Amino acid sequence: MSSEGFYQEFEVFSKRSDTAPLQYQFSLLAPNSELALIMAQENFMRREPVSDIWVVKRSDIRKMNCEEKQSLQRLDNKDYRNTKGYGYLKKKWRHYEQGMLDEKEILSWGEEKKRENG
Amino acid sequence: MSDVIFSNQLTEQEKYGHFLKRIEAGEKIEADDWMPDEYRFTLIKLISMHGISEIMGALPEKEWVPKAPSLKRKLGIMAKVQDEMGHGQLLLRVAEDLMKPLGKTREDIMEDLFSGRLKFHNVFHMEAPTWGDAGLIGWLVDGAAIISQTNMLNASYGPYARALKRICAEEVFHAQHGEAIIMALAEGTNEQRTMVQEAVNRWWEALLMFFGPADASTTGTSKQDITIKYRIRTKTNEELRQDFFSKYIPRVLSLGLTLPDETMHFDKEKEVWVYKQPDWNRFKEIIKNNGPKSKDRLELRKTAYIENQWVREALNMAK
Repeated sequence: MSSEGFYQEFEVFSKRSDTAPLQYQFSLLAPNSELALIMAQENFMRREPVSDIWVVKRSDIRKMNCEEKQSLQRLDNKDYRNTKGYGYLKKKWRHYEQGMLDEKEILSWGEEKKRENG
Repeated sequence: MSDVIFSNQLTEQEKYGHFLKRIEAGEKIEADDWMPDEYRFTLIKLISMHGISEIMGALPEKEWVPKAPSLKRKLGIMAKVQDEMGHGQLLLRVAEDLMKPLGKTREDIMEDLFSGRLKFHNVFHMEAPTWGDAGLIGWLVDGAAIISQTNMLNASYGPYARALKRICAEEVFHAQHGEAIIMALAEGTNEQRTMVQEAVNRWWEALLMFFGPADASTTGTSKQDITIKYRIRTKTNEELRQDFFSKYIPRVLSLGLTLPDETMHFDKEKEVWVYKQPDWNRFKEIIKNNGPKSKDRLELRKTAYIENQWVREALNMAK
């Protein structure tokens, strides 16, 4: 009997904590997804904290080939999409004696509210 | 986009030029990318040998799991043995993806090991008769492994570089685990100090051999030029051996230990360590599986493989 079925390729992903994004770890060989999950923990999670593990059969993944990856290169003219393209507003607001509500300021509002309540 | 290169429209020569340009620009080559055969075969040989050496390397250390002197030491060495097997799994995966277009699998790697076509590292053919040897393997053999593996952390082949990053992080624990054992013995009784000194004497030649001969004139072949050309590593065997001396000789001597080479010294003018060459003919014999423990360890690996055949068959059917 061929043992081809015993050595199937799985790709392993995991999350370091509940709020962390899923991260690619590595691949492994296992006969089925249950054992792949056990081996993923043994192979890649012996020390680091982990809150979730996913295993995916490699044959179910559509990956990009080399040519497709080249098409991912961005043109360097996307300032209008980023805050960088609106940086001049800082100077403008200064003229009106106002501070700019930049990313750092806006993303801190959640914390500030908590402080006020506390 | 006009600058997208479609590999099916290029000649082999153009593909090779594009490949070289990519690695020179520091890009990583992935398993499915086009690569010259020489690169693929060099990587397969290097990484399958590295992977299988991790697995064979766990064998001399696992002998010490039941004999470790305390529960803490037993847990430590068990963790290390498990890591080594894990490193083997990682590296075999990298080798297997490279071998896939050739129709070869893990079973072929195992068959090649048993038949002697696939070699494992010279240090793992040696005996580890005392607890001092167990400590020394962690301290100096893993120390030497760290020197050669960190040299490849930026390897042009992405999957190998990523595997090495994981491996090196764990090797730091291994080295410190070995240092802890050696330090305890070196600060212990006369008998314990003798045990460490004898381990150093026993392992010194194998450690010199670890990095391989300086050039092809010694053993007939050497892959170091090819691995440097393809940016798999940057330093030669001799440069790595010298780095090992610089890092470890002062530490060995500081513990009051001696080296079994009265010619060993640092030439300040030339800035090199001068040392007595190991017996490279013996090296060739060892890696041909004629070392002191080669046959025993291969037999152990083979027995485990054969005795667990039923597990592979049962799980194959249980899908």
